[in-house]
Amino acid sequence: MRAENYEARNHPPSNEFEINFGPNHPGIEGNYALKVKVHGDEIVAARADGGYLHRGFEKLMEQRLWIQNIALVPRICVPDPAPMEVAYSMAVEQLCGLDVPERAQWLRVLQLELSRVAAHLFTFGGHAATTGMYSPMFWGVADRDLILDLFEELTGGRVYSIYNIPGGVRRDVPDGFLQRLSDTLDYLDSRLPDYDNLLFTNRVFVTRAKGTGPISQTQALEWSVTGPNLRATGLKFDVRRDDPYLVYDQLDFDIPTEEPGDAWARTLVRRGELQQSVRILRQVVERLPGVAGPIRAPIPNPLAWKVPAGETYVRIESSKGELGWYVVSDGSEKPYRVHVRGPSSMHAVQVLEHLVTGARIEDVAQIMFSLDACPPEVDR
Amino acid sequence: MSETHLPVERLSIILGEFKDVRVRKRGDRRTRVDVEPDALPALLELLKGRSGFVHLSAISCVDWPDDDQFELVYHLWSYELQLLVSVHTRIARDPGVYVSVYDIYHPAGFFERDIHEMYGVFFEGAPDMEKFILTEWDGPPPMRKEFDSEAWVNDHFDWQNYRPDWLIELEQQGGGIVIPPDEQRFSRRGMQEPDDES
Repeated sequence: MRAENYEARNHPPSNEFEINFGPNHPGIEGNYALKVKVHGDEIVAARADGGYLHRGFEKLMEQRLWIQNIALVPRICVPDPAPMEVAYSMAVEQLCGLDVPERAQWLRVLQLELSRVAAHLFTFGGHAATTGMYSPMFWGVADRDLILDLFEELTGGRVYSIYNIPGGVRRDVPDGFLQRLSDTLDYLDSRLPDYDNLLFTNRVFVTRAKGTGPISQTQALEWSVTGPNLRATGLKFDVRRDDPYLVYDQLDFDIPTEEPGDAWARTLVRRGELQQSVRILRQVVERLPGVAGPIRAPIPNPLAWKVPAGETYVRIESSKGELGWYVVSDGSEKPYRVHVRGPSSMHAVQVLEHLVTGARIEDVAQIMFSLDACPPEVDR
Repeated sequence: MSETHLPVERLSIILGEFKDVRVRKRGDRRTRVDVEPDALPALLELLKGRSGFVHLSAISCVDWPDDDQFELVYHLWSYELQLLVSVHTRIARDPGVYVSVYDIYHPAGFFERDIHEMYGVFFEGAPDMEKFILTEWDGPPPMRKEFDSEAWVNDHFDWQNYRPDWLIELEQQGGGIVIPPDEQRFSRRGMQEPDDES
């Protein structure tokens, strides 16, 4: 049946349609869906639908021992799991008054930055794929795999490393690991010109990304947008520098910013961040051997660990933005309440709905991927 | 006066205008403020307007059934003072109604919707109190302390004895899952079945 006949028979004469964008659309992330009302190909209203992934982390954590939760939390964001376990461990340490040995703090920085590089490589690939370019996606996944190899060597796990433990980290770097890390960093550096040629100077990509889904700095602040999306509007703010944790105040790195706040600017900020993470990792390779000492503070028997009553709010910078953990203990062996402020929860619901309204259908995936939303951080 | 103390001093001066406000310094960049529920919106407005606490990081809800209260915690960050303030307030658990601060902080819309869904707290004046995740849920708010996930699962779902042919074969060779699902449950070990109680 021809389209106009179908319309005439089934709909009142109108140019407005409702379309479900996702959840199983290649241009949308994971289980997420957007219900959009379109007029022609322009979106006039949008509604985010959280879908169904693995929900109930916060409730599950109330039913598990403090130490068991370490294995649970990395699942909150698959592409960038390290910040979850680091932040949770930091919260428990603050409640217990534990001091983390300096070497463990360096090792945590190593893990966090490797995870950030891996997450950004993934995002570039996904973002490029929304414009029909699959080569950067394959490259991104392949290069990320080299980092997963390093994770496997360091922690035993490729994706969920479960490397942290309140008080420090589980194990020290194996022999020759820093050399292999250094080699991988050299390789990543050598790949950047390739990425520039393939993606960042690609006329199709640049034309599509420029001017798409712009956020002004005022809007970004009003909507509590954080991370690379905020820095793409020109505000130089990074939790690592402005509210430092671990040993970030001893490290030398820049905070890349861009002005326009559109999809293009957000991607460029991530590209800059990738370079800065490599720079941080080089400093870790150089300075870690000089930081001697234990990698873990003495902790009580993990299976009978009662954390003193109290509450704390820990926040760190993940690759998606600001990650906050509000942890309450009533002095028992399980957390009383854990609230996760997923970095994506802000820009994946309200900001996304706002940005796609007025955009065209073809730009939805562009906007979604350039915001770098991670759905499980929303439904937790 | 060291530089890190300065923001807290300034904060104390501003908060001095309020009655019944307790300010506690928690760290170099962390401050806890306890306030009565009536005064909270005005306090947030003051913090945002006068001290640049423009960033609402999160709103957390904690259930205290023994006190018959919900605790709401508003985590605010000031880019200017580089200080994180957690404003705590407690509201009655029944009827569990509070005012929305969406007009002051737009991100509150998401957090309030989340808290409404998970705890059943209703925020008056919030733009959107629709369900987000639990769209097909008809039970009580699941994050409340009295909600027992295991009992809910046992009441609403049947345990399926999953035994395909390949598993039976495997078991005959001495492998597979040999403990039936009922006995796998930790909390059921040593528990009598309801029928046996009489």
